[in-house]
Amino acid sequence: MAAEEEVLAEVEAVEAVYGGDCLVLNSFPPHLHISMKPRTADVSFEQFVEATIKIIASPQYPKEPPCIDLVDCKGLDEQRQKHLLSCIREKAHELSSCLMLVTLCEEAVEKLSAMNHPDGDCPLCLYPLVPEDQQNETLPFMKLMSCFHCFHSECIIRCWHWLQNTKETDSASSAGAAGRPTQNMENRKDMHGKMKEGAGNCPVCRKPFHAKDLEHVLDLVGSHSSSQSSLDSKLPTGDEKLLVSESEITRRLKFEAILKLQEENSGLIEPKRDLVVLPGMFLPQPVTTSTKESAEQQEKDPSAVASGKHASGNSNGPSSSGHRNFGARKQRVRSDHHSKGHSSRKPVQQWVRKENANGK
Amino acid sequence: MTSSSASARKALSKIACNRLQKELVEWQVNPPAGFKHKVTDNLQRWVIEVTGAPGTLYANETYQLQVDFPEHYPMEAPQVIFLHPAPMHPHIYSNGHICLDILYDSWSPAMTVSSICISILSMLSSSTVKQRPEDNDRYVKNCRNGRSPKETRWWFHDDKV
Ligand SMILES: [Zn+2]
Ligand SMILES: [Zn+2]
Repeated sequence: MAAEEEVLAEVEAVEAVYGGDCLVLNSFPPHLHISMKPRTADVSFEQFVEATIKIIASPQYPKEPPCIDLVDCKGLDEQRQKHLLSCIREKAHELSSCLMLVTLCEEAVEKLSAMNHPDGDCPLCLYPLVPEDQQNETLPFMKLMSCFHCFHSECIIRCWHWLQNTKETDSASSAGAAGRPTQNMENRKDMHGKMKEGAGNCPVCRKPFHAKDLEHVLDLVGSHSSSQSSLDSKLPTGDEKLLVSESEITRRLKFEAILKLQEENSGLIEPKRDLVVLPGMFLPQPVTTSTKESAEQQEKDPSAVASGKHASGNSNGPSSSGHRNFGARKQRVRSDHHSKGHSSRKPVQQWVRKENANGK
Repeated sequence: MTSSSASARKALSKIACNRLQKELVEWQVNPPAGFKHKVTDNLQRWVIEVTGAPGTLYANETYQLQVDFPEHYPMEAPQVIFLHPAPMHPHIYSNGHICLDILYDSWSPAMTVSSICISILSMLSSSTVKQRPEDNDRYVKNCRNGRSPKETRWWFHDDKV
């Protein structure tokens, strides 16, 4: 049957285009899973969305348009998922009775490319990752590789430091709590078992991520970004020192090699590069917590969480924490970081990583 | 000194303030179903009215939640308790303290007042029996000095309510 041959040839064409990203579950009638990345994302840190769509055609295809659905996706909220799907389905109806598989895939990639920017708000501060109106500054943000959840770099780093500090506090208080029933200790391990040294969990989906991911951001925030000539105007070098503590610098060096590797292996995240920073600009949300806060923090008691039996009796007052100086460290630097009214909805330009052009 | 009620009274940090204002606006636009925020000018303490979901043991009953935000919200979890009278529930003590992991160990700074409310309502809704936790009396006695639930060492049971 001529029609069937044509369809088979079409499936082959899709396979040829998408290679390993195309899974043919059935050739006729076609049943395909195709994993798609935005066209604008040749390297992982330019990528904020991805999707696997399935196309299931009936024997009547192409007279009857195929069913199209999402198998999996990252970086797309429900609304954007719907949008993506309805675009492809619409296209399928338009093309009714034509061979359309290749075109549908193209359409999907096209739409995905147009959506290749993080959407919505930073889950930590609830301010938009990419402001709608161009009056507002875009803060540098980052993406966790495992789940594509995005955060302002500053917000996730603050969160990270808080976790690290809580851990220290915890181990301090558990050392002082040797007399407690072992049951408690075990449960404590349970609770914080996820936060092993050098690892944390995504605040949104709790998928584990590694220190390296954050180190990378620190790297950018610290030495790297300041070496960019376009950013020269902003940072007095003194401020940078506040950003990373000695130990972080050490760790950073240690991880440098790994980072390189990881970057190449699609390990990471990248804040936007086309920031234009002007001195004296201020953030939409004030983030300078400054020394006063960190001083307060040192007095503050940690509410160390321990566990008992359901609700156990009295807890010992949590032991006082040592130094909690994480609060102020990086914020000063970030608060001077700004982008200026660039075209924030033009993914193609927006996400291009300059270095990349030089071939890596 | 060590009580977190004292620390809760510490003024909100700027970050906390901004975040809460954002949450409040979002709440006004899109409040979680079954909840009503009682308007006050106190950003640091929210009182929220919750109405039991239809078809559950708490249908048509109304309770009040008091949410106190610490200085470093959302890094630190807010303190959430039921005001008197607290609903009869196997995970809710008569003094209003709630045994719910996300309020303590499992708190994440990506959670919001809204998401807490939804969790609490679902905890209420899934209850099959109106009763206090087994250790209610002992626990409440231990809390007489006004201890915050955040100082309690919680042991979370399975989710069978
Ligand atoms: Zn943020
Ligand atoms: Zn995530």
